[in-house]
Amino acid sequence: MDAAVLHEYLPLYAKAALLTIRLGLLGVLLSILTGLFCAAVQYLKIPLLRIIVRVYIELSRNTPLLIQLFFIYYGLPKIGIRTDPAVCGVAGLTFLGGSYMAEAFRSGLEAIPPIQEESALSLGMTRIQAAVHVILPQALSVSVPAFVANVIFLLKETSVFSAVSLMDLMFTAKDLIGLYYDTTEALFLLVVFYLLMLLPVSILGSIVEKKVRYAGFGT
Amino acid sequence: MRRTKWFAISFLAALGVTLAGCGQVSAGSAAQAAETTDDQGSKAVYRTLDEIKSDGTVNIGVFSDKNPFGYVDENGAYQGYDVYFAERIGQDLGVKINYVSTEAANRVEYLETGKVDIVLANFTVTKERAEKVDFALPYMNVALGVVSPDSRVITDLSEITADDEVIVISGTTAETYLTENNPEIKLQKYDTYANAKNAIENGNGVAWANDNTEVIAFALQNPGYTVGIPSLGSQDTIAPAVSKGNTTLLDWINDEIRALADEQFFHKDYEATLVDTYGLDYEESLVLEGGGAAATAAP
Repeated sequence: MDAAVLHEYLPLYAKAALLTIRLGLLGVLLSILTGLFCAAVQYLKIPLLRIIVRVYIELSRNTPLLIQLFFIYYGLPKIGIRTDPAVCGVAGLTFLGGSYMAEAFRSGLEAIPPIQEESALSLGMTRIQAAVHVILPQALSVSVPAFVANVIFLLKETSVFSAVSLMDLMFTAKDLIGLYYDTTEALFLLVVFYLLMLLPVSILGSIVEKKVRYAGFGT
Repeated sequence: MRRTKWFAISFLAALGVTLAGCGQVSAGSAAQAAETTDDQGSKAVYRTLDEIKSDGTVNIGVFSDKNPFGYVDENGAYQGYDVYFAERIGQDLGVKINYVSTEAANRVEYLETGKVDIVLANFTVTKERAEKVDFALPYMNVALGVVSPDSRVITDLSEITADDEVIVISGTTAETYLTENNPEIKLQKYDTYANAKNAIENGNGVAWANDNTEVIAFALQNPGYTVGIPSLGSQDTIAPAVSKGNTTLLDWINDEIRALADEQFFHKDYEATLVDTYGLDYEESLVLEGGGAAATAAP
Protein backbone atom coordinates (compact mmCIF):
# COMPACT_ATOMS: atom_id res chain seq x y z
CA MET A 1 0.00 0.00 0.00
CA ASP A 2 1.34 3.38 -1.06
CA ALA A 3 0.59 6.36 1.20
CA ALA A 4 1.15 8.83 -1.64
CA VAL A 5 -1.48 7.09 -3.74
CA LEU A 6 -3.93 7.11 -0.82
CA HIS A 7 -3.32 10.80 -0.33
CA GLU A 8 -3.83 11.50 -4.01
CA TYR A 9 -7.11 9.57 -4.12
CA LEU A 10 -8.59 11.09 -0.95
CA PRO A 11 -10.22 14.16 -2.55
CA LEU A 12 -11.84 12.01 -5.22
CA TYR A 13 -13.26 9.68 -2.59
CA ALA A 14 -14.45 12.59 -0.48
CA LYS A 15 -16.28 13.97 -3.50
CA ALA A 16 -17.81 10.59 -4.22
CA ALA A 17 -18.80 10.12 -0.58
CA LEU A 18 -20.51 13.50 -0.64
CA LEU A 19 -22.48 12.52 -3.72
CA THR A 20 -23.38 9.18 -2.18
CA ILE A 21 -24.52 10.81 1.06
CA ARG A 22 -26.42 13.59 -0.71
CA LEU A 23 -28.35 11.30 -3.05
CA GLY A 24 -28.63 8.56 -0.45
CA LEU A 25 -30.16 10.78 2.23
CA LEU A 26 -32.51 12.44 -0.24
CA GLY A 27 -33.59 9.00 -1.39
CA VAL A 28 -34.08 7.86 2.21
CA LEU A 29 -36.15 10.95 3.03
CA LEU A 30 -38.42 10.51 0.03
CA SER A 31 -38.64 6.79 0.80
CA ILE A 32 -39.91 7.59 4.28
CA LEU A 33 -42.59 9.90 2.89
CA THR A 34 -43.62 7.33 0.28
CA GLY A 35 -43.59 4.61 2.93
CA LEU A 36 -45.73 6.62 5.36
CA PHE A 37 -48.22 7.36 2.62
CA CYS A 38 -48.44 3.73 1.53
CA ALA A 39 -48.73 2.48 5.11
CA ALA A 40 -51.50 5.00 5.82
CA VAL A 41 -53.41 3.95 2.71
CA GLN A 42 -53.18 0.33 3.78
CA TYR A 43 -54.04 1.00 7.40
CA LEU A 44 -57.07 3.10 6.54
CA LYS A 45 -58.05 0.53 3.89
CA ILE A 46 -58.78 3.20 1.28
CA PRO A 47 -60.42 1.39 -1.64
CA LEU A 48 -58.72 1.30 -5.06
CA LEU A 49 -55.69 3.27 -3.78
CA ARG A 50 -55.03 0.28 -1.54
CA ILE A 51 -54.77 -2.04 -4.54
CA ILE A 52 -52.46 0.35 -6.38
CA VAL A 53 -50.21 0.56 -3.33
CA ARG A 54 -50.17 -3.23 -3.02
CA VAL A 55 -49.14 -3.61 -6.67
CA TYR A 56 -46.46 -0.95 -6.27
CA ILE A 57 -45.03 -2.60 -3.14
CA GLU A 58 -44.81 -6.03 -4.76
CA LEU A 59 -43.33 -4.61 -7.97
CA SER A 60 -40.75 -2.57 -6.11
CA ARG A 61 -39.75 -5.18 -3.53
CA ASN A 62 -39.34 -7.96 -6.05
CA THR A 63 -37.14 -6.19 -8.59
CA PRO A 64 -33.51 -5.22 -7.97
CA LEU A 65 -32.54 -1.54 -7.84
CA LEU A 66 -30.19 -2.05 -10.78
CA ILE A 67 -33.09 -3.09 -13.00
CA GLN A 68 -35.21 -0.17 -11.76
CA LEU A 69 -32.39 2.28 -12.56
CA PHE A 70 -31.92 0.75 -16.01
CA PHE A 71 -35.62 1.15 -16.65
CA ILE A 72 -35.68 4.79 -15.55
CA TYR A 73 -32.40 5.84 -17.14
CA TYR A 74 -32.23 3.82 -20.35
CA GLY A 75 -35.83 2.77 -20.87
CA LEU A 76 -37.90 5.90 -20.24
CA PRO A 77 -35.97 8.11 -22.72
CA LYS A 78 -37.24 5.79 -25.49
CA ILE A 79 -40.71 7.14 -24.77
CA GLY A 80 -39.48 10.69 -24.36
CA ILE A 81 -38.84 10.97 -20.62
CA ARG A 82 -35.20 11.81 -20.08
CA THR A 83 -33.82 12.10 -16.58
CA ASP A 84 -30.59 13.47 -15.25
CA PRO A 85 -28.42 10.74 -13.64
CA ALA A 86 -28.80 12.25 -10.15
CA VAL A 87 -32.58 12.52 -10.47
CA CYS A 88 -32.66 8.96 -11.76
CA GLY A 89 -30.61 7.74 -8.80
CA VAL A 90 -32.88 9.40 -6.25
CA ALA A 91 -36.02 8.26 -8.10
CA GLY A 92 -34.76 4.68 -8.19
CA LEU A 93 -33.82 4.73 -4.52
CA THR A 94 -37.22 6.18 -3.61
CA PHE A 95 -39.04 3.63 -5.72
CA LEU A 96 -37.20 0.81 -3.99
CA GLY A 97 -37.10 2.33 -0.50
CA GLY A 98 -40.74 3.42 -0.46
CA SER A 99 -41.98 -0.16 -0.36
CA TYR A 100 -39.47 -1.27 2.26
CA MET A 101 -40.41 1.65 4.47
CA ALA A 102 -44.12 1.01 3.89
CA GLU A 103 -43.70 -2.59 5.04
CA ALA A 104 -41.71 -1.50 8.09
CA PHE A 105 -44.42 0.97 9.13
CA ARG A 106 -47.18 -1.51 8.34
CA SER A 107 -45.59 -4.16 10.55
CA GLY A 108 -45.52 -1.55 13.32
CA LEU A 109 -49.18 -0.67 12.84
CA GLU A 110 -50.21 -4.32 12.76
CA ALA A 111 -48.26 -5.07 15.90
CA ILE A 112 -50.67 -2.91 17.90
CA PRO A 113 -53.63 -5.07 18.93
CA PRO A 114 -57.07 -3.80 17.78
CA ILE A 115 -58.18 -3.73 21.42
CA GLN A 116 -56.09 -0.59 21.90
CA GLU A 117 -58.05 1.34 19.32
CA GLU A 118 -61.31 -0.05 20.62
CA SER A 119 -60.41 0.98 24.15
CA ALA A 120 -59.46 4.46 23.02
CA LEU A 121 -62.74 4.83 21.17
CA SER A 122 -64.70 3.61 24.18
CA LEU A 123 -62.98 6.30 26.25
CA GLY A 124 -64.53 8.84 23.92
CA MET A 125 -61.58 9.58 21.64
CA THR A 126 -62.22 10.16 17.96
CA ARG A 127 -60.52 7.84 15.44
CA ILE A 128 -57.99 10.54 14.63
CA GLN A 129 -57.22 11.15 18.32
CA ALA A 130 -56.82 7.43 18.85
CA ALA A 131 -54.45 7.19 15.90
CA VAL A 132 -52.33 10.19 16.91
CA HIS A 133 -52.16 9.59 20.66
CA VAL A 134 -52.40 5.81 21.00
CA ILE A 135 -51.65 3.88 17.86
CA LEU A 136 -48.97 5.88 16.00
CA PRO A 137 -46.50 6.40 18.88
CA GLN A 138 -46.50 2.69 19.61
CA ALA A 139 -46.43 1.66 15.95
CA LEU A 140 -43.48 3.91 15.13
CA SER A 141 -41.59 2.64 18.14
CA VAL A 142 -42.12 -0.97 17.06
CA SER A 143 -40.97 -0.25 13.50
CA VAL A 144 -37.75 1.54 14.47
CA PRO A 145 -35.39 -1.47 14.12
CA ALA A 146 -36.75 -2.30 10.67
CA PHE A 147 -36.59 1.37 9.79
CA VAL A 148 -32.92 1.71 10.77
CA ALA A 149 -32.08 -1.47 8.86
CA ASN A 150 -33.80 -0.01 5.79
CA VAL A 151 -31.84 3.24 6.00
CA ILE A 152 -28.54 1.35 6.04
CA PHE A 153 -29.77 -0.96 3.29
CA LEU A 154 -30.71 1.98 1.07
CA LEU A 155 -27.41 3.80 1.63
CA LYS A 156 -25.55 0.63 0.65
CA GLU A 157 -27.73 0.16 -2.41
CA THR A 158 -26.26 3.39 -3.83
CA SER A 159 -23.31 1.22 -4.89
CA VAL A 160 -25.16 0.26 -8.08
CA PHE A 161 -25.40 3.92 -9.17
CA SER A 162 -22.42 3.35 -11.46
CA ALA A 163 -24.84 1.86 -13.99
CA VAL A 164 -26.24 5.35 -14.62
CA SER A 165 -22.85 7.10 -14.76
CA LEU A 166 -23.03 8.52 -11.23
CA MET A 167 -19.56 8.78 -9.72
CA ASP A 168 -20.47 7.26 -6.37
CA LEU A 169 -17.91 5.57 -4.11
CA MET A 170 -18.10 2.22 -5.87
CA PHE A 171 -17.71 3.65 -9.36
CA THR A 172 -14.92 5.99 -8.29
CA ALA A 173 -12.98 3.00 -6.99
CA LYS A 174 -13.62 0.92 -10.09
CA ASP A 175 -12.73 3.85 -12.32
CA LEU A 176 -9.45 4.56 -10.53
CA ILE A 177 -8.52 0.89 -10.78
CA GLY A 178 -9.21 1.04 -14.50
CA LEU A 179 -7.14 4.20 -14.89
CA TYR A 180 -4.13 3.57 -12.67
CA TYR A 181 -4.38 -0.07 -11.53
CA ASP A 182 -3.67 0.63 -7.85
CA THR A 183 -6.18 -2.00 -6.87
CA THR A 184 -5.18 -2.42 -3.23
CA GLU A 185 -5.29 1.29 -2.42
CA ALA A 186 -8.52 1.91 -4.30
CA LEU A 187 -10.37 -0.98 -2.64
CA PHE A 188 -8.99 -0.17 0.81
CA LEU A 189 -10.27 3.41 0.59
CA LEU A 190 -13.60 2.09 -0.65
CA VAL A 191 -14.08 -0.05 2.47
CA VAL A 192 -12.91 2.75 4.77
CA PHE A 193 -15.26 5.31 3.23
CA TYR A 194 -18.29 3.04 3.36
CA LEU A 195 -17.50 2.33 7.01
CA LEU A 196 -17.04 6.01 7.80
CA MET A 197 -20.37 6.69 6.19
CA LEU A 198 -22.42 3.83 7.59
CA LEU A 199 -20.93 3.21 11.02
CA PRO A 200 -22.30 6.51 12.46
CA VAL A 201 -25.72 5.74 10.95
CA SER A 202 -25.62 2.31 12.53
CA ILE A 203 -24.56 3.62 15.95
CA LEU A 204 -27.03 6.49 15.83
CA GLY A 205 -29.69 3.97 14.87
CA SER A 206 -29.10 1.78 17.88
CA ILE A 207 -29.15 4.80 20.20
CA VAL A 208 -32.46 5.99 18.75
CA GLU A 209 -33.77 2.44 19.00
CA LYS A 210 -33.08 2.29 22.76
CA LYS A 211 -34.63 5.72 23.32
CA VAL A 212 -37.90 5.05 21.55
CA ARG A 213 -38.51 1.35 22.15
CA TYR A 214 -41.02 1.88 24.90
CA ALA A 215 -43.96 0.18 23.26
CA GLY A 216 -45.27 -3.18 24.36
CA PHE A 217 -46.05 -4.70 27.68
CA GLY A 218 -43.62 -5.12 30.54
CA THR A 219 -41.06 -2.54 29.48
CA MET B 1 -24.38 1.74 25.22
CA ARG B 2 -21.80 -0.76 26.37
CA ARG B 3 -22.63 -3.06 23.52
CA THR B 4 -22.12 -0.25 21.03
CA LYS B 5 -18.70 0.42 22.49
CA TRP B 6 -17.73 -3.22 22.15
CA PHE B 7 -18.84 -3.23 18.56
CA ALA B 8 -16.70 -0.20 17.84
CA ILE B 9 -13.67 -1.76 19.52
CA SER B 10 -13.94 -5.09 17.71
CA PHE B 11 -14.48 -3.20 14.50
CA LEU B 12 -11.31 -1.20 14.85
CA ALA B 13 -9.46 -4.40 15.67
CA ALA B 14 -10.77 -6.07 12.52
CA LEU B 15 -9.79 -3.03 10.48
CA GLY B 16 -6.31 -3.15 11.93
CA VAL B 17 -5.90 -6.79 10.92
CA THR B 18 -7.04 -5.93 7.41
CA LEU B 19 -4.57 -3.08 7.23
CA ALA B 20 -1.70 -5.28 8.34
CA GLY B 21 -2.68 -7.86 5.75
CA CYS B 22 -2.63 -5.27 2.98
CA GLY B 23 0.80 -4.12 4.02
CA GLN B 24 2.16 -7.62 3.81
CA VAL B 25 0.87 -8.15 0.32
CA SER B 26 2.60 -5.13 -1.13
CA ALA B 27 5.76 -5.93 0.76
CA GLY B 28 5.86 -9.55 -0.44
CA SER B 29 8.44 -10.23 -3.11
CA ALA B 30 7.12 -10.45 -6.65
CA ALA B 31 8.96 -13.69 -7.30
CA GLN B 32 7.31 -15.38 -4.36
CA ALA B 33 3.90 -14.08 -5.37
CA ALA B 34 4.32 -15.40 -8.90
CA GLU B 35 5.03 -18.93 -7.69
CA THR B 36 2.11 -19.24 -5.35
CA THR B 37 -1.22 -20.45 -6.68
CA ASP B 38 -3.52 -19.15 -3.97
CA ASP B 39 -5.55 -16.19 -5.17
CA GLN B 40 -5.46 -14.24 -1.92
CA GLY B 41 -4.40 -10.80 -3.06
CA SER B 42 -0.93 -11.68 -4.35
CA LYS B 43 0.04 -9.75 -7.45
CA ALA B 44 0.53 -12.11 -10.37
CA VAL B 45 -1.14 -15.46 -10.08
CA TYR B 46 -1.07 -17.43 -13.28
CA ARG B 47 -1.00 -20.86 -14.83
CA THR B 48 1.92 -21.83 -17.05
CA LEU B 49 1.51 -23.26 -20.54
CA ASP B 50 1.96 -26.81 -19.25
CA GLU B 51 -0.56 -26.32 -16.47
CA ILE B 52 -3.15 -25.05 -18.95
CA LYS B 53 -2.49 -27.98 -21.30
CA SER B 54 -2.74 -30.60 -18.59
CA ASP B 55 -5.90 -28.97 -17.26
CA GLY B 56 -7.46 -29.12 -20.73
CA THR B 57 -9.18 -25.74 -20.49
CA VAL B 58 -7.91 -22.25 -21.16
CA ASN B 59 -9.70 -19.24 -19.65
CA ILE B 60 -9.89 -16.35 -22.08
CA GLY B 61 -11.30 -12.95 -21.13
CA VAL B 62 -13.33 -11.38 -23.94
CA PHE B 63 -15.95 -8.68 -24.29
CA SER B 64 -19.53 -9.81 -24.50
CA ASP B 65 -21.01 -6.51 -25.67
CA LYS B 66 -18.50 -5.09 -28.14
CA ASN B 67 -19.79 -5.97 -31.58
CA PRO B 68 -17.99 -6.82 -33.90
CA PHE B 69 -14.88 -7.54 -31.78
CA GLY B 70 -16.23 -9.60 -28.93
CA TYR B 71 -19.94 -10.15 -28.41
CA VAL B 72 -22.53 -12.80 -27.74
CA ASP B 73 -24.74 -13.60 -30.72
CA GLU B 74 -28.44 -14.43 -30.67
CA ASN B 75 -27.64 -18.11 -30.03
CA GLY B 76 -25.57 -17.28 -26.95
CA ALA B 77 -22.23 -18.02 -28.64
CA TYR B 78 -19.24 -15.68 -28.45
CA GLN B 79 -18.37 -14.08 -31.80
CA GLY B 80 -16.13 -11.38 -33.23
CA TYR B 81 -12.62 -10.54 -34.34
CA ASP B 82 -11.06 -11.25 -30.93
CA VAL B 83 -13.09 -14.43 -30.47
CA TYR B 84 -12.10 -15.74 -33.92
CA PHE B 85 -8.47 -15.54 -32.78
CA ALA B 86 -9.32 -17.04 -29.38
CA GLU B 87 -10.92 -20.03 -31.11
CA ARG B 88 -7.70 -20.59 -33.05
CA ILE B 89 -5.61 -20.36 -29.89
CA GLY B 90 -7.81 -22.99 -28.24
CA GLN B 91 -7.54 -25.22 -31.28
CA ASP B 92 -3.74 -24.95 -31.53
CA LEU B 93 -3.27 -25.41 -27.78
CA GLY B 94 -5.47 -28.47 -28.04
CA VAL B 95 -7.67 -27.40 -25.13
CA LYS B 96 -11.24 -26.33 -24.57
CA ILE B 97 -11.97 -22.62 -24.17
CA ASN B 98 -13.79 -21.15 -21.23
CA TYR B 99 -14.83 -17.62 -22.19
CA VAL B 100 -14.96 -15.14 -19.33
CA SER B 101 -16.93 -11.99 -20.03
CA THR B 102 -14.97 -8.90 -18.99
CA GLU B 103 -15.53 -5.15 -18.73
CA ALA B 104 -12.93 -2.65 -19.86
CA ALA B 105 -12.03 -1.62 -16.32
CA ASN B 106 -11.36 -5.09 -14.95
CA ARG B 107 -9.13 -6.55 -17.67
CA VAL B 108 -5.92 -5.95 -15.70
CA GLU B 109 -7.44 -7.25 -12.47
CA TYR B 110 -8.65 -10.44 -14.12
CA LEU B 111 -5.08 -11.21 -15.15
CA GLU B 112 -3.58 -10.14 -11.82
CA THR B 113 -5.91 -12.43 -9.90
CA GLY B 114 -5.60 -15.34 -12.33
CA LYS B 115 -9.28 -15.25 -13.21
CA VAL B 116 -8.29 -15.60 -16.85
CA ASP B 117 -5.14 -16.92 -18.56
CA ILE B 118 -5.34 -14.61 -21.57
CA VAL B 119 -7.20 -11.36 -22.22
CA LEU B 120 -8.34 -10.97 -25.81
CA ALA B 121 -10.63 -8.04 -25.27
CA ASN B 122 -9.53 -5.33 -27.70
CA PHE B 123 -6.78 -4.53 -25.24
CA THR B 124 -4.81 -1.47 -26.38
CA VAL B 125 -1.11 -1.62 -25.49
CA THR B 126 -0.17 1.27 -23.20
CA LYS B 127 2.83 1.95 -21.01
CA GLU B 128 0.78 1.94 -17.79
CA ARG B 129 -0.86 -1.35 -18.63
CA ALA B 130 2.45 -2.93 -19.69
CA GLU B 131 3.68 -2.39 -16.12
CA LYS B 132 0.88 -4.60 -14.82
CA VAL B 133 0.46 -7.25 -17.51
CA ASP B 134 2.58 -8.74 -20.31
CA PHE B 135 1.45 -7.94 -23.83
CA ALA B 136 2.13 -10.35 -26.68
CA LEU B 137 2.67 -9.23 -30.28
CA PRO B 138 -0.10 -6.95 -31.56
CA TYR B 139 -2.74 -8.09 -34.03
CA MET B 140 -4.62 -4.87 -34.78
CA ASN B 141 -4.09 -1.11 -35.13
CA VAL B 142 -6.21 1.38 -33.27
CA ALA B 143 -6.51 5.09 -32.48
CA LEU B 144 -9.15 7.06 -30.61
CA GLY B 145 -12.22 8.52 -32.27
CA VAL B 146 -15.17 10.70 -31.32
CA VAL B 147 -18.68 10.14 -32.60
CA SER B 148 -21.54 12.62 -32.20
CA PRO B 149 -25.10 13.05 -33.47
CA ASP B 150 -25.61 14.65 -36.90
CA SER B 151 -27.46 17.53 -35.27
CA ARG B 152 -24.20 18.74 -33.75
CA VAL B 153 -21.12 17.03 -35.14
CA ILE B 154 -18.03 17.58 -33.01
CA THR B 155 -15.05 17.82 -35.35
CA ASP B 156 -12.58 19.19 -32.83
CA LEU B 157 -12.29 18.87 -29.07
CA SER B 158 -12.27 22.68 -28.78
CA GLU B 159 -15.94 22.70 -29.83
CA ILE B 160 -16.86 21.03 -26.55
CA THR B 161 -18.07 23.66 -24.09
CA ALA B 162 -17.99 23.64 -20.31
CA ASP B 163 -21.67 22.60 -20.20
CA ASP B 164 -21.15 19.59 -22.44
CA GLU B 165 -20.42 16.11 -21.24
CA VAL B 166 -18.53 13.54 -23.25
CA ILE B 167 -19.38 9.88 -22.82
CA VAL B 168 -16.48 7.52 -22.14
CA ILE B 169 -16.21 4.00 -20.83
CA SER B 170 -14.43 3.56 -17.53
CA GLY B 171 -11.03 1.91 -17.94
CA THR B 172 -10.52 2.64 -21.64
CA THR B 173 -7.66 4.47 -23.36
CA ALA B 174 -10.12 7.20 -24.36
CA GLU B 175 -10.79 7.93 -20.69
CA THR B 176 -7.07 8.02 -19.88
CA TYR B 177 -6.31 10.23 -22.87
CA LEU B 178 -8.98 12.82 -22.11
CA THR B 179 -8.24 12.78 -18.38
CA GLU B 180 -4.58 13.51 -19.03
CA ASN B 181 -4.71 15.79 -22.08
CA ASN B 182 -8.05 17.56 -21.75
CA PRO B 183 -8.88 17.70 -18.05
CA GLU B 184 -11.26 20.62 -18.75
CA ILE B 185 -13.69 18.34 -20.60
CA LYS B 186 -16.42 16.93 -18.39
CA LEU B 187 -16.63 13.17 -18.74
CA GLN B 188 -19.73 11.07 -18.25
CA LYS B 189 -18.46 7.64 -17.38
CA TYR B 190 -20.15 4.31 -17.98
CA ASP B 191 -19.11 0.86 -16.89
CA THR B 192 -20.08 -1.14 -19.98
CA TYR B 193 -20.19 -0.69 -23.75
CA ALA B 194 -23.89 -1.46 -23.78
CA ASN B 195 -24.64 1.36 -21.32
CA ALA B 196 -22.47 3.88 -23.16
CA LYS B 197 -24.20 3.07 -26.46
CA ASN B 198 -27.58 3.47 -24.84
CA ALA B 199 -26.51 6.77 -23.33
CA ILE B 200 -25.36 8.31 -26.63
CA GLU B 201 -28.57 7.09 -28.28
CA ASN B 202 -30.61 8.71 -25.54
CA GLY B 203 -28.70 11.96 -25.95
CA ASN B 204 -27.17 12.00 -22.48
CA GLY B 205 -23.87 13.36 -23.78
CA VAL B 206 -22.78 15.50 -26.73
CA ALA B 207 -20.31 12.92 -28.00
CA TRP B 208 -18.80 9.53 -27.30
CA ALA B 209 -15.03 9.08 -27.25
CA ASN B 210 -13.67 5.57 -27.64
CA ASP B 211 -11.45 3.40 -29.84
CA ASN B 212 -11.98 4.68 -33.39
CA THR B 213 -12.81 1.16 -34.56
CA GLU B 214 -15.69 1.14 -32.12
CA VAL B 215 -17.09 4.59 -32.92
CA ILE B 216 -16.78 3.98 -36.67
CA ALA B 217 -18.73 0.75 -36.25
CA PHE B 218 -21.33 2.57 -34.18
CA ALA B 219 -21.80 5.32 -36.79
CA LEU B 220 -22.06 2.76 -39.58
CA GLN B 221 -24.64 0.73 -37.70
CA ASN B 222 -26.69 3.68 -36.43
CA PRO B 223 -27.86 6.29 -38.91
CA GLY B 224 -27.86 9.83 -37.55
CA TYR B 225 -24.34 9.73 -36.11
CA THR B 226 -21.06 10.91 -37.59
CA VAL B 227 -17.49 10.27 -36.54
CA GLY B 228 -16.39 13.91 -36.47
CA ILE B 229 -12.94 13.09 -35.08
CA PRO B 230 -11.74 9.85 -36.72
CA SER B 231 -8.26 9.86 -35.21
CA LEU B 232 -7.24 11.34 -31.89
CA GLY B 233 -4.04 10.86 -29.96
CA SER B 234 -1.37 8.40 -31.01
CA GLN B 235 -1.70 5.34 -33.21
CA ASP B 236 -1.74 2.37 -30.90
CA THR B 237 -1.92 -1.36 -31.26
CA ILE B 238 -4.11 -4.05 -29.78
CA ALA B 239 -2.54 -7.22 -28.44
CA PRO B 240 -3.30 -10.28 -26.35
CA ALA B 241 -2.22 -9.98 -22.73
CA VAL B 242 -1.19 -12.52 -20.11
CA SER B 243 -0.42 -12.19 -16.40
CA LYS B 244 2.87 -10.44 -15.61
CA GLY B 245 5.71 -12.94 -15.77
CA ASN B 246 3.84 -15.75 -17.49
CA THR B 247 6.61 -16.19 -20.07
CA THR B 248 5.78 -19.72 -21.20
CA LEU B 249 2.31 -18.69 -22.30
CA LEU B 250 3.53 -15.35 -23.68
CA ASP B 251 6.21 -17.03 -25.82
CA TRP B 252 3.70 -19.54 -27.11
CA ILE B 253 1.26 -16.78 -28.17
CA ASN B 254 4.06 -14.82 -29.85
CA ASP B 255 5.18 -17.90 -31.80
CA GLU B 256 1.56 -18.51 -32.73
CA ILE B 257 1.08 -14.96 -34.04
CA ARG B 258 4.30 -15.18 -36.08
CA ALA B 259 3.31 -18.58 -37.49
CA LEU B 260 -0.18 -17.37 -38.41
CA ALA B 261 1.28 -14.67 -40.66
CA ASP B 262 2.07 -17.37 -43.26
CA GLU B 263 -1.60 -18.06 -43.78
CA GLN B 264 -2.60 -14.37 -43.46
CA PHE B 265 -4.79 -15.45 -40.56
CA PHE B 266 -5.85 -11.99 -39.40
CA HIS B 267 -6.91 -11.00 -42.91
CA LYS B 268 -9.17 -14.06 -42.87
CA ASP B 269 -10.33 -13.04 -39.41
CA TYR B 270 -11.15 -9.55 -40.70
CA GLU B 271 -13.04 -10.95 -43.67
CA ALA B 272 -15.00 -13.31 -41.44
CA THR B 273 -15.91 -10.89 -38.67
CA LEU B 274 -15.32 -7.24 -39.53
CA VAL B 275 -16.09 -6.94 -43.23
CA ASP B 276 -19.84 -6.65 -42.63
CA THR B 277 -19.25 -3.63 -40.44
CA TYR B 278 -16.33 -1.83 -42.05
CA GLY B 279 -16.30 -3.08 -45.63
CA LEU B 280 -12.92 -3.80 -47.22
CA ASP B 281 -11.70 -0.19 -46.98
CA TYR B 282 -10.28 -0.50 -43.49
CA GLU B 283 -8.73 -3.96 -43.86
CA GLU B 284 -5.14 -2.89 -44.51
CA SER B 285 -5.18 -0.09 -41.96
CA LEU B 286 -6.61 -2.23 -39.16
CA VAL B 287 -5.09 -5.67 -39.58
CA LEU B 288 -1.60 -6.54 -38.35
CA GLU B 289 0.00 -9.82 -39.40
CA GLY B 290 2.88 -11.47 -37.58
CA GLY B 291 2.91 -8.79 -34.92
CA GLY B 292 3.63 -5.81 -37.15
CA ALA B 293 5.08 -6.97 -40.46
CA ALA B 294 1.96 -5.65 -42.15
CA ALA B 295 2.12 -2.33 -40.30
CA THR B 296 4.47 -0.85 -42.88
CA ALA B 297 2.06 -1.81 -45.65
CA ALA B 298 -0.78 0.12 -44.06
CA PRO B 299 -1.90 3.19 -46.04
